[in-house]
Amino acid sequence: MAQADQVGVIGKGIVIRGNLTGGGNLVIEGRVEGQIALKNHLTIENTGRVQADIRADELTINGEASGNIDASSRVAISASAKVAGDIKAPRVVIEDGAVFNGSIEMDVKLPEDI
Amino acid sequence: MANTVIGSSIVIDGEISGDEDLVIQGTVKGKISLRESLFVEGSGVVEADIETQNVEIAGRVTGNIQATDKVELKADCRVVGDVKAPRILIADGASFKGNVDMDVKER
Repeated sequence: MAQADQVGVIGKGIVIRGNLTGGGNLVIEGRVEGQIALKNHLTIENTGRVQADIRADELTINGEASGNIDASSRVAISASAKVAGDIKAPRVVIEDGAVFNGSIEMDVKLPEDI
Repeated sequence: MANTVIGSSIVIDGEISGDEDLVIQGTVKGKISLRESLFVEGSGVVEADIETQNVEIAGRVTGNIQATDKVELKADCRVVGDVKAPRILIADGASFKGNVDMDVKER
């Protein structure tokens, strides 16, 4: 495959219900409902809609996400994003224009088991 | 069209549905229903019932497979389960255990 560094893509036409775990980076353009636990970077693109509790190292949200978010390094919510849920991460960035409802806790220890 | 790839380090436990091509290099347990083509690559491990249009398997699949068009079992694949499709190809070197139903009544 062209993408040697293990980038996974969930395309626009795909719906996943259940648990999604793994290493590597993941881009979600479709829909995911359930739970996501990822060792690296998760990106939810503009077309992506995620209803899940998310644990990841780094998270970038351009689309819609609802559920609790637990990131070990950074969460970035961009201008086009709509997010509902509680966020725990050492660094949280919310851009102008983003919609966010929930609480943010920045003083957090690293999750042990991801 | 964006191609969906479940990378080799990804594990999905649950249900995948959709209307675009799906490439599995990782592990999927549960159920897969697609209206397009499914590719299970050499590193892919699937423990799921599969409903799709086309499926090409080079990896390992455990579960029943039902395709509206074609099922292709490549060399080096390992498949356990029943296969139902109008067209079924099994390459030399493939390992397969299960029933084959080509649905001859409809043709």
